[in-house]
Amino acid sequence: MKFRRVLFVVGAFVLLLLKFAADIFRKNVELQMGGLLALRELAAVGIFVLIFMALRPVFPERASIRPVRWLGLQLITLGVFLVVMLLLGFLPGDGFDAKDLGLLPLDYPSLFMASLFSLFAGILAIVNFQILRDLVLASRTKRGRRNFFIFMLLVLATAASSALIRPLDSSVVTGVLFGLALCFALVIAFRLPWIVYLTKREKLLALTLTFFLFVTFSVVAVLIKESSSLERGLLYYSHPLQEFVQLSLITGAIYSGMAFISTLFHLPTAEAFDRKRSELTSIHTLSKLVTQVFDFNELMETVTSMTLQMVGAQSAWIELLPVAQRDTTVMVGEDGFAGGQVVGMKNIARGEIEELQGTGLHYLRTAAGRERKPIVVDEVARDPRFAAAGSETNRPGSLVIVPLVSHTGLIGFLYATKAGTFGFVKDDVELISTFADQATIAIENSRLIKTSIERERLVQEMTLAQDMQRKLLPQRLPRLPGIDLDALSTPAFEVGGDYYDYVVLSDHELGIIVGDVSGKGVPAAFYMSEVKGIFQSLSPLYKSPREFMLRANTVLMESIDKHSFVSLIYGILDVRTGHFQIARAGHCPLLHVGEGSGVYLRPDGMGLGLAEHSIFAGSIEEQTIRLRPGDLCVLYTDGVTEAHRNGEEFGYERLRAAAGCADGRTAAGVKDDILLAVDAFIDHGAPHDDLTLVVVRWLGPVPQS
Amino acid sequence: MSEFTIAQREREAVHVLELKGYLDAHTAPKLEEAFQGLLKDQRFNIIVNCKDLSYISSAGLGVFMAYIEDVRKNNGDIKLSNMSTKVYNVFDLLGFPLLYEITPDEQDAYNKFGNALTRK
Repeated sequence: MKFRRVLFVVGAFVLLLLKFAADIFRKNVELQMGGLLALRELAAVGIFVLIFMALRPVFPERASIRPVRWLGLQLITLGVFLVVMLLLGFLPGDGFDAKDLGLLPLDYPSLFMASLFSLFAGILAIVNFQILRDLVLASRTKRGRRNFFIFMLLVLATAASSALIRPLDSSVVTGVLFGLALCFALVIAFRLPWIVYLTKREKLLALTLTFFLFVTFSVVAVLIKESSSLERGLLYYSHPLQEFVQLSLITGAIYSGMAFISTLFHLPTAEAFDRKRSELTSIHTLSKLVTQVFDFNELMETVTSMTLQMVGAQSAWIELLPVAQRDTTVMVGEDGFAGGQVVGMKNIARGEIEELQGTGLHYLRTAAGRERKPIVVDEVARDPRFAAAGSETNRPGSLVIVPLVSHTGLIGFLYATKAGTFGFVKDDVELISTFADQATIAIENSRLIKTSIERERLVQEMTLAQDMQRKLLPQRLPRLPGIDLDALSTPAFEVGGDYYDYVVLSDHELGIIVGDVSGKGVPAAFYMSEVKGIFQSLSPLYKSPREFMLRANTVLMESIDKHSFVSLIYGILDVRTGHFQIARAGHCPLLHVGEGSGVYLRPDGMGLGLAEHSIFAGSIEEQTIRLRPGDLCVLYTDGVTEAHRNGEEFGYERLRAAAGCADGRTAAGVKDDILLAVDAFIDHGAPHDDLTLVVVRWLGPVPQS
Repeated sequence: MSEFTIAQREREAVHVLELKGYLDAHTAPKLEEAFQGLLKDQRFNIIVNCKDLSYISSAGLGVFMAYIEDVRKNNGDIKLSNMSTKVYNVFDLLGFPLLYEITPDEQDAYNKFGNALTRK
């Protein structure tokens, strides 16, 4: 690449020398040789084509340019050229002699001057067209591109048409093409897409630059026209070059003139445009808020720093209300919402905020929250709603409070301050309000994500709790001869308050317990585990169900909440005799299934945790059932009898029917029959309550080993 | 879910709560609120008329247990009346008749209060 450029430059230089030699030759020989003339023109074209090629990498086609810089560059090249031109004017030389519409240099200095000047003028024209191209095509529309292409074609055609025409002569074709090129120069002069996007400062700069450009272009064009030696020098050197340079200068003047006027007209709206653009930028950044919802602190940071940027505030911060305070009824209360949490402070210390809150800000923001509208304080120092500040306090000049209102209600406030008074104009407030709405959504989303993560965690914990609770229930059936037993317990939720257990009290005694803690879910599950502890520790000590119940009640009364109570049924079965000794504490009656249909046994007894020992002891009765071999006992919780569908309960009668009579079915068989009946009754729906079922069948006396 | 409503009325020194519907873990807070209100207003003679109460769960029963102590400390009582058989069976199974006076009719409950009040 670099090598090629060097080659271009060397080529141009060689051609330049050749051309110079030809001119010297021509001056001395004074011969009208057509071949030599054509070669001269060709050499001139060649020089500038090569220069153009060498300069091309300096002006690559780019996606976006910085127009002001381009204008500056244009002015610098033009200025340099002007200086060169003026310096060349001082060179001694008699100029050119006009003869027969042709030109003849009077001396060598004139010839040298003409060559040098033409070289500079050509370079200037090329650079000028390149810069114009970049400016015109800044918006990169198809039409702009086409127009510029036609324009350049016309410029080159004008130049080409003047080839081999004597310097002072002119052809109609050249004239027409020149006129057309100027028309298109006007057309492209209306392509000033870059002006709109300049900031106000840049527009002022552009205004100055275009003014000087217009003046310099005009001055240069006029100077060349007026100085016979310069124009004749150009014409003598190459007629096409003269046309090219002239068109370049005129187009430059037209374009910079139009740019000047257009910039002037854009100036009054520049500020508004700047604001709109910064709004647009803010809204663009705002959309990035959405991605920040995973880090709450980062979100707060962004919101406040963007507030500063957007309205040029001095400081900003956010106050978030606790979720419980978002209710409007709290809001209209006398003390407002006191406990907001200040987050995302920018350029302000917590102490300063508290000081402001204490002297009136709290009251004001409560009003803003009630009205759901921003409140602007133009002069904090003089505002009657603020208490007088101490001498040392550093108060803002003006401030704005914007309530953050989500669909669920008020969630907090966004504050911004400025050092000067009357710092927040209407547009600022509108912008900050729009921003606040977006920020609210982001904050709410962030909270939602947080809660859903939290919920996920809870679900996992509940699954764990469910596993734990399942392990509190017996893991295997008791190993005692003469007994056939099966059991099942399913909580309605993840965990529940139902309980069953057994304990082998001796080689011939089995304790069986079924219980139900009032309520459901986690609280019930906690008491259930406590009941398990009580049962495991007390049952070996008290060999009568009644004694056990009394002791259990005393223990439970100490720990259980007033709302809660526990119902239990506890029986001790002697596998040698079939005597089943039971006590019931507020629990569902036991179903004894013998040869005929089942019988409910309901010894008296109130629930545990309801009354202190004296009352409780008076209520508990003990009963002994004498089982015959093959008899079954069904112990259950109200999840069985109260299983319901359409307001109707499964009830005791259906349970009795489902259990049938002792016809040789195993405990597991009876349990399954009951469960199937319940399931069919509730139409295979989900049970509403914890459900527990224990079926024990006495097989008959077992010979002692 | 089934509705649960409480209607309140005064019978001179006795306050009557009429329960209607389905009293379970979900609706129990309503009854708690009613009791809390009565205690705050120093009303300790309370009859709970269960004529239209169609169901009560263990959580519902728990509400009565939560306030009876405070009421009795203030020489008042919570008496229950007009229960359907089904609802009574739930109370009975747990042994509530040992703790509360449950009368078939509101008037009986009211009379019992009357006796207590005149004795004072």
